[in-house]
Amino acid sequence: MKNISPYKIILLLTGSVVGLTSCNKLSEDPKSVIVSSQFYQTTSDATSAVNAVYSTLNSDPAGDFPLYGRQLNLLVENASDNQLYSPSNTNPDVRALGTETYISANSRVQKVWQQLYYGINRANIAIDNVPTIQMDTTLRARLVRESKFIRALLYFDLVRLYGDVPLVLHNPNSTNIDNLLTARTPAADVYTQIIADLEDATNLPKSYSSTDLGRATSGAAHTLLAKVYLTQQDWPDALTQLNLVINGGYGYALFPNYYDAFQKATKNGVEHIFSVQFETNLGEANSTQYLSESFTSFNTGTFPIDIPVDTSLYNLFSANDTRRSVTFYNTVYNAATGQNVVYNNAYTPYFNKFVDYSLSPLSSQSLSGVNYPVLRYADVLLMKAEALNEINGGPTSDAYTAINQVRTRAQIANLTPGLNQAAFRDSIFLERRKEFIQEGHRWFDLVRQGGTVLVDALHKISAKSAATSKNTLFPIPLVEIQQNAKLKQNPGYN
Amino acid sequence: MEIYIHAKHVLNKFLKALLFLIIPFSALAQQKDVPVINSRIEGTVVDSVSKQPIAGVTLRIKNVTHEVTTGSNGHFTFVTGQKLPYTLVVSFIGYKTKEVVANGSPVNIQLAENIAQLNDVVVVGYGTQKKSDLTGAIGSVPKNILNQPAASFDNLLQGAVSGVAVTQNSGQPGSSATIRVRGGNSISFGNAPLYVIDGFIIYNDNDYANVGSNGTSVNALSTINPSDIESIEVLKDASATAIYGSHGANGVVIITTKKGKKGTNNVNFSSYFGDQTIAKKLDLLDASQWGSLVNDINLSDGVAPTYTPAQLAALGTGSNWQNAALRNAPEYNGELSISGGDEKSRYLISGNYFDQQGTILNTGFKRYSARVNYEKNVTDKFKISTNVFGSQSIENKLVGSAYNSINFSNAFATLLLTPPTSPITNPDGSYYTNSPYIATPTNPLQDITATTNTTTLTRVLGNVAGEYKILPDLTLKVTAGVDILNTVQDYYAPSNTSGGYADQGYASIGNGNELSWLNENTLTYDHAFNNTNFLNILAGYTTQYTRFSSSTASAQKFPNDLTSYNNLSYAGVANLPTSSFASQALDSYLARVNYSYLHIYNLTVSARADGSSKLGANNKWGYFPSAGFSWNIDKNDFFKPLAQDISSLKLRVSAGQTGNSEVPPYSSLAALAPTNYYFGSKLVTGISPVQIDNPNLKWETTTQYDAGLDLGLFNNRVNLTFDAYYKKTTDLLLNVPLPLYSGYASELENVGSVENKGIELGINTDNVKTDHFSWKTNIEFAENRNKVLSLGPGVSSYFPVAPTGQVSPVIVQVGLPVGTFWGYSTQGLLTAADIAKGVPLLNGVPQKVGDTRYVDNNHDGVITTADKHSLGSAQPKFTGSITNTFSYNQFDLSVFFQGSYGNKIFNLLQQTLERPTLTQNASATLLNRWSPTNPNGTVARATDSPVPQVTDRYVENGSYLKLKNASLGYTFTNNLASKIGAKKLRIYVSGQNLLTITKYSGLDPEVNFYDNDNTKQGIDYGTYPAVRTFLAGVDVTF
Repeated sequence: MKNISPYKIILLLTGSVVGLTSCNKLSEDPKSVIVSSQFYQTTSDATSAVNAVYSTLNSDPAGDFPLYGRQLNLLVENASDNQLYSPSNTNPDVRALGTETYISANSRVQKVWQQLYYGINRANIAIDNVPTIQMDTTLRARLVRESKFIRALLYFDLVRLYGDVPLVLHNPNSTNIDNLLTARTPAADVYTQIIADLEDATNLPKSYSSTDLGRATSGAAHTLLAKVYLTQQDWPDALTQLNLVINGGYGYALFPNYYDAFQKATKNGVEHIFSVQFETNLGEANSTQYLSESFTSFNTGTFPIDIPVDTSLYNLFSANDTRRSVTFYNTVYNAATGQNVVYNNAYTPYFNKFVDYSLSPLSSQSLSGVNYPVLRYADVLLMKAEALNEINGGPTSDAYTAINQVRTRAQIANLTPGLNQAAFRDSIFLERRKEFIQEGHRWFDLVRQGGTVLVDALHKISAKSAATSKNTLFPIPLVEIQQNAKLKQNPGYN
Repeated sequence: MEIYIHAKHVLNKFLKALLFLIIPFSALAQQKDVPVINSRIEGTVVDSVSKQPIAGVTLRIKNVTHEVTTGSNGHFTFVTGQKLPYTLVVSFIGYKTKEVVANGSPVNIQLAENIAQLNDVVVVGYGTQKKSDLTGAIGSVPKNILNQPAASFDNLLQGAVSGVAVTQNSGQPGSSATIRVRGGNSISFGNAPLYVIDGFIIYNDNDYANVGSNGTSVNALSTINPSDIESIEVLKDASATAIYGSHGANGVVIITTKKGKKGTNNVNFSSYFGDQTIAKKLDLLDASQWGSLVNDINLSDGVAPTYTPAQLAALGTGSNWQNAALRNAPEYNGELSISGGDEKSRYLISGNYFDQQGTILNTGFKRYSARVNYEKNVTDKFKISTNVFGSQSIENKLVGSAYNSINFSNAFATLLLTPPTSPITNPDGSYYTNSPYIATPTNPLQDITATTNTTTLTRVLGNVAGEYKILPDLTLKVTAGVDILNTVQDYYAPSNTSGGYADQGYASIGNGNELSWLNENTLTYDHAFNNTNFLNILAGYTTQYTRFSSSTASAQKFPNDLTSYNNLSYAGVANLPTSSFASQALDSYLARVNYSYLHIYNLTVSARADGSSKLGANNKWGYFPSAGFSWNIDKNDFFKPLAQDISSLKLRVSAGQTGNSEVPPYSSLAALAPTNYYFGSKLVTGISPVQIDNPNLKWETTTQYDAGLDLGLFNNRVNLTFDAYYKKTTDLLLNVPLPLYSGYASELENVGSVENKGIELGINTDNVKTDHFSWKTNIEFAENRNKVLSLGPGVSSYFPVAPTGQVSPVIVQVGLPVGTFWGYSTQGLLTAADIAKGVPLLNGVPQKVGDTRYVDNNHDGVITTADKHSLGSAQPKFTGSITNTFSYNQFDLSVFFQGSYGNKIFNLLQQTLERPTLTQNASATLLNRWSPTNPNGTVARATDSPVPQVTDRYVENGSYLKLKNASLGYTFTNNLASKIGAKKLRIYVSGQNLLTITKYSGLDPEVNFYDNDNTKQGIDYGTYPAVRTFLAGVDVTF
């Protein structure tokens, strides 16, 4: 050993250095992450990019509850006269919505804003990138139009909830990130964009094969367009669109049973024009229905969902109205014990529409496969009755036919004939309220009637006495105002 | 042949050690030597502190040439013509020479180490340095703390070195600790120090040990056997840490493991048994007290009371869920090591078994480990060495949701909240599962006992080094090392637990594989010019590659619980599996020049260039310079007159820059992520961007200035080290909020800055020093002030993400420490007079007499979230420790106190326990609630499920003083020890966490529910309770 040549040692040591170090490179080659420069190349990429647009409706990137299925309802149902709070409501921000005391720092007001723009951004990315992909041009055009439909849907929610909002149509990246700070775009310009997107979306297919059920159709585009015109009180254009839906050969109709509009087995059925898809996703990823958690346990000592019914709502229904037992429950059959469990406390009855009774055990309601109906044919009929009433200065017989179709299905008597315009209008809004509980309409319906309708309705509930006229819009989230001096707050908020 | 004899010798000792285990303290026959002419004495020489025998000591009769040396057991026999008494001169390298008058046998001589010489050399980055020449701030963990029993070495850092703050995150055996050197620099990423174990660089990332796990984070550092550690040095200032460049900003902990020593052959066995008890329990309501609370809630709801007075009385005390889950738990540690060396080689082989059961049922921690350290001088110029370490640790964790989950739960907290009116078991002993307060027909205690939640970590850490002296002054050193950490996590919740009920049995397995290799190549030139100018130059190139891959699989709907996670194919439903892969590389060039003039004036200049794969394409490389200067004033001639009182005096100043780049790989890329949707009731995958690219992403830079003073008084019997420092961290790696309408919440950018400034003081004193008795005191004190200076343009504050359903109790705001608690001040309860006066009330909540009165901080007449303000932070104003060690003949005693002052804790558990509901148990503090019959109550009246608010009531004073350790040992005299053939025998008893003085109302003021998350320190949500341990041990060397 003593005879080892020093040069050999140096050679050995330095040799090992060279051998090892030639491996390391500082540029990253991520094998587990897709980078945008690798993507938007193939038909499959285009489809995946658009699937991601839809997924913003039923899931949250940060693992929070989804827009449709929880967050939107906090604003549109809980901050309306439909819902209050229960003992399981521990989040002060959620409780503030129920009591109309929310401020611009409210985390849920911020979350809805964020989720709407999150979906818009994914739509923008698809609309900008899919057209650059070499693929079947028919499919390519369809995918872009689907994205435009979703973008229009989300901007329509935004403009109604917050008023003027920044109109963003492209994805930011490292090169333009500094130009992000913009002012609010006038609502009229946002509506122009919504209408343009929807008009393009009316070129979508009328229907899809069974594997594509749930995608946006031209019928959905016409219906949403009608709703946009109705909200703008452009009654003739609304009526035109509604007639296209009714007479356009889509085959839409009411389910004979109201019950079927909220069942897993009958999802994407004859009455459903556009629904956010939920599935009993055993073994698969993502999307959590939360509205279904109005049932959580057979133990009557525990409280389910935190935003229960305001009792005045239940009392609106006559006993023979089939919608009552579909919308609410206070008795559930427990298969394990063979007994009916009756729930009776200050917060009962509980909401029922999204409870999936096919689940076993029944308490796994986060797996509910009941879709969230965004556009339903009953809405088309009631919108038509409303438009006719407004165009003609009072209800026409077609208007009566439309509303009575909805009432007949609920097994209640036809509306009193001979109502004047105002009385008919009130009847329509009452019918809408009873028909669409938990479906994200109520606050919008109150606000679009204008005047003090919203505040008057809220003041009927003592816990909501804090409501004022400022509540006809939600505040722009405080964090947005703080980092962007160009954004001005809505009246009445800081 | 030589090897054979050597091995036989060692085997002999080893057998003796085994024998010792079997027949403790049994005396082995001792052979007598044959008497010889004239005077004859025998005796032993031992170290005055360790009482370890010293081999090779020279004993010479004064003024006579005749001399002998001690053998390997420190024994000597002197046969001479001299008549007794005579004077022996005893000398050995590293020890003070001693003169002893010999009167007859046995002569037992204690040699004291020459402190100045012993401390001559300290371990620094990529080498060692004469202590007198140091320019940087370096702290060493004292020996007596290093010798304390501990599950993991990070526990030993607590209170050991000033400026190193350690918080044990929970009492779960095997759990992690939060360690900060001179405060936290970063807000979002990487505040833990860098660990260098025998030269191998480990940036500890507990994520590598948590793959799809459930419950608190597993501590990857617990894989290392603390008894293997010879010394721990903590590098604190830039002069010391800049050589570690982009890893150095958070301080560097250098760990050197034990090595064999030349001229010895030792077999060491040490072992201890301990008994752990719960240090504190929470006071909760019993059944009748809870029933009365329910009645009060009914009263406020305006409904009839649930219980009649007779029913209330009949409820009695009910179930004590807390006690049912807790137990006294044993702890055992056993350790065997063989070490030694000759002229050319040194070796150490050790094995360790550690078993700590948890004080909560079905929890615990075990570790098996082994180490081989070997070193050989192949030639005069060429030396090789290797350190190889392997271990397996198995942790049974308390069930809970993932530690970083936004929706958290904790089985122990759930247990505390279970109403005492629910029985724990049925009359037949089975678990009672019909509680009306639990959503599923399960039992929270059964959730703890029946759920399997096991993490098995297997670690192999090894390196080889070759060192060659090209010239007498020039050395080339090449090392190559590898660290492999394999994680397996098994989880099974049977269908009779709340975690498995809905899924009808839920099993998951997770596998993680981390591999890191490191190659370092350094050239060192060391030369003294005319014994006046001393120059040491280091230059090197290093490269490190780390990759981590993981996979998880889970399944549910099991027909029975027999196979659990061991065979997922029995399941009815398989869940989507996951896998991941990430790799990173770091290339570095480093250089350092140490120059000293007469060891009076010393200068250190260092620089490192780091290229990291994780950073943006435009900023891969970072440069980290430093300079330090020190002046040994006492060595100047003019100082001589003062030398009587001031034995040493040194001034140090340093400045430099270090970095932090602890972002995950691929953070700078425009990454896309999968999401899901359904068409035709079938799952489809969507892919969309989740992150905006940032090609300019770079490291955080910490600029640090340090000035220090080392002072020795009265012949170095009092030693004092003082440092003052200022650190400013700029270009913070921060998730900068973007306008939410961009579609992104944030982008990772380099903006904002944080400062830390503080002072540190360390005092060592030899209070009493006689032949029989000594008393030493060590005091460590540190004060650090942390402040956010900027969060980037337009951002003055932000709230870290809070769990769903909760409001963030912390804020990150410019001008405040990172992670400041944010909430309302309160002012007692509302009185009728207050209401009449119209004091401001909580917005949106109908407040009545007996409710909490909130303070209208902004005087706008109403209580809104705008009235929230800073309620203090978890960062202490100062931390300190005091250790007293005593030795009296064969006895030694050490008492170690450690404390923290000025830190706040958000007691989230107490907030939950003080929220009256009809379904959950509550804290005993509610006994003093306001009610019409108790108008002087100090706790808010009982209402049904009020919204929990973050208030000053729950942001509590977290200051504490703990008697962390007291141990009493007895070292047998050499005569007694040698009767069993031992060189050294020590027995001891020790108590840990014996006393806690604190105003904090929770279980333990050392708590971090959110683990290492820098913005959420000091939050208590019912973490695993702390324990008090009594143990007894033995340490024997053959």
